[in-house]
Amino acid sequence: MSPFRARARAEIEAGPPAATLSPILRKLVADSRDQLATASPSDARARAQAARAYAVDHLDELQEQLKESCARQGIGYHRAATAEEAVALVTQLLGDARRIAKSKSMVAEEVGLTHALRVRGKEVLETDIGEYIVDIEGRGPSHITAPALHLNRARIRELLAGAGEDVPDDDPVRLSRAVRDVVAEFFGEVDAGITGANVVIADSGRIVIVENEGNVSLGVSRPRLHIAITGMEKVVADEEAALAVLQVLAPSATAQPLTAYTHFLGAPEEGRERHLVVVDNGRSEILADERYRDVLRCIRCGACMNACPVYTAAGGLSYGSPYMGPIGAVVSPLLWRDGRHADLPSASSLCGRCSEVCPVGIPLHRMLLDLRAGEAENGGSRVEKVAWKSWAAAFGGRQGRAASWLARLGLRAGERLPGVPISGSRPVPAANPPRDPAMLVPLDSIEPEPEPAAEPLPDDVVAAFRERASVVGAVVVDEAEREDGDRRVRATAAVASTGSVLLTGEAAARGALMDARRIVVEVDEASVVRFPQELGPALAGDGDALILTGASRTADIEKQIVRGIHGPEALVVVVGSGTAQA
Amino acid sequence: MAKVALFVPCYMAALRPDDGGHARRVLERLGDEVQTILGPCCGQPAFNSGYRSEAKSVGRALLRAARGHETIVVPSGSCASMVKHYLPGLWAGPRGASIEHMSERFVEFGAYVAAHPNVAALPLRLPGAVTYHDSCHGRRELGLTEGAVGLLEQVEGLDVRRLAYEDECCGFGGTFTVKEPEVSVAMARAKLEDVASRGVRVLVSGDLSCLAHLEATARATDQSLETWTLAELLDRALA
Repeated sequence: MSPFRARARAEIEAGPPAATLSPILRKLVADSRDQLATASPSDARARAQAARAYAVDHLDELQEQLKESCARQGIGYHRAATAEEAVALVTQLLGDARRIAKSKSMVAEEVGLTHALRVRGKEVLETDIGEYIVDIEGRGPSHITAPALHLNRARIRELLAGAGEDVPDDDPVRLSRAVRDVVAEFFGEVDAGITGANVVIADSGRIVIVENEGNVSLGVSRPRLHIAITGMEKVVADEEAALAVLQVLAPSATAQPLTAYTHFLGAPEEGRERHLVVVDNGRSEILADERYRDVLRCIRCGACMNACPVYTAAGGLSYGSPYMGPIGAVVSPLLWRDGRHADLPSASSLCGRCSEVCPVGIPLHRMLLDLRAGEAENGGSRVEKVAWKSWAAAFGGRQGRAASWLARLGLRAGERLPGVPISGSRPVPAANPPRDPAMLVPLDSIEPEPEPAAEPLPDDVVAAFRERASVVGAVVVDEAEREDGDRRVRATAAVASTGSVLLTGEAAARGALMDARRIVVEVDEASVVRFPQELGPALAGDGDALILTGASRTADIEKQIVRGIHGPEALVVVVGSGTAQA
Repeated sequence: MAKVALFVPCYMAALRPDDGGHARRVLERLGDEVQTILGPCCGQPAFNSGYRSEAKSVGRALLRAARGHETIVVPSGSCASMVKHYLPGLWAGPRGASIEHMSERFVEFGAYVAAHPNVAALPLRLPGAVTYHDSCHGRRELGLTEGAVGLLEQVEGLDVRRLAYEDECCGFGGTFTVKEPEVSVAMARAKLEDVASRGVRVLVSGDLSCLAHLEATARATDQSLETWTLAELLDRALA
């Protein structure tokens, strides 16, 4: 029995993962589809694919350019060839920093960073709510963007109680805020922040990070030292390419137009340090292999696992890898060449839904076929090899022998397939099942709910911006009285399709934003663009920038939205014409 | 009168030999002259398991059997997809191009019937209610769903109810069901819940492979269900 099968069987026996996952993921897939139709232009996926394909095809060149841009920005640029090197580098960069606030990073999971740092005596806190919960549970994340997706609210309450956090009931709002408070307290005294990076921009050296909770905002602004760790494939050419990726990332991942915070981090502030650790760990080998190099386009949105019926049935932990679902089944055996994940390519029915939803056009199910062929050639069980040879001998010849082979196979009788184990519980199809005319008579049915049609973006961009900013949770007004504790800033631009505001330079300073009671953003009607991809000119240069899309929130517990995590709960958007607000 | 070959794939010949007859009668009612190719395999089981040279030798035998036929109708979306999309890739260079040319003569049954010049004149009638499931190959690789549903909707008296999650896989996946039976059955159960929620007990598909898996799972879980191929439904609607 393959390790995947053993784990999946145990998961299903313990309580089918689909009971929790299926309703959540079905809704997420439908919402993602709607979000891509409404918040993005019709060619958004093609643009994202082109941006990522270009990056993969020019990886060495772009990394070279990124290195120069980082030097210009005063960001330390470091390359790690292996997981061990990555850990050693981060340890060295941390120096005597003791308390470390870590936010979500798939590469950090891949290289085992948190564990390695703890072994070296560092106090590391997972500051993302979902990561914090799975850290207590100790079985690792089950989804790349929603790590605690396998846990229901009752189980999360138990886990928190076990960690000394008693929450009176299992309301996701109270559970989320209980974790928020632990994290906020930790940030009171913290020496370093470690984050991932969703995109790094070769042209400007900016590090792009998306998040909803505000823990990244704190992690990159509170401590003196910020280290971003990322895979070497995450580089893109320029701001336009980054925007093309962002435009599909949140819709595909969480069915949001953009996440609450989209950071464009440039030079560190005076007296602070910022480092970028670029990890290879097997990626160069993938890049050199024509069959699989396009998997490096991946933007880690998780859409493939959201849409995967195998993932839904088996749950993310069954994959036994930090990368689960279809992307995990492709990338895990390629990153760990010791054979530990060699069975994962077989954990797919090859239905192709992953390839269909992938926003950057990775032909995942075809790669799974190639990986299976590779495994059959270089590994594979001897019995299976013999079985296929005998099968080919029967069907490859003239007809007649095939029929006897099929009879031996016992499709009708349901005997064992030679060499390949069949579970005792697997139902076996009947030959020519009987027919009963009464079966055509319908029974009562549950009427499917009509799907509301996704509305296209109206032509009036200002009206559209007002509406969509409200949808994502901002308070949209024509004027706002000044209140104590306001952080009042002017937006450089705003985006109609996502209801977002872009802050640049001093306005993007996270410390002041996170400390405020309210964030009040003034938006000049003339600065509203239709889609994120049009923000390029407003992002010119290489300074700090931040896109706000509603106030902070989380959906780490059963995908239920809880607003107001770190930073102010209220985002007030004041829309006017430029002169009126001057 | 068009001359066509009807390729009855291995598993259909073994599992539901009557389905070959259903498909043949429908084609004859359309006015075609039908010659049956009974029992070869397209090579997909080995191909999907990674055993490509075995798949190639089996696929070669199918192409040999189909030699001389201008049109080969395949009452299985999954096999049609294998022949059209994957088989040619097993041969390199100019040989691959010539195999691709051959593979273009293979047409999935539902698509062939839906596009047939005489289809509108077929007297299709069957009172009752059914739902439709397409194999992932039929749906994603061949784009067959709307054509097949269109055919069902042409049947007088037939109430065709669409599944709520019709693009989800049934969990069969060929050798997947053998290697990962627990997950495979969990997927089938999700599909069967969707079927039951439509209030129907007859499930129609262009793919017997999905149907056989769902039929077996339904029986094992005491769900009352008949699974009909599109060919069976059309043949019964013509009777």
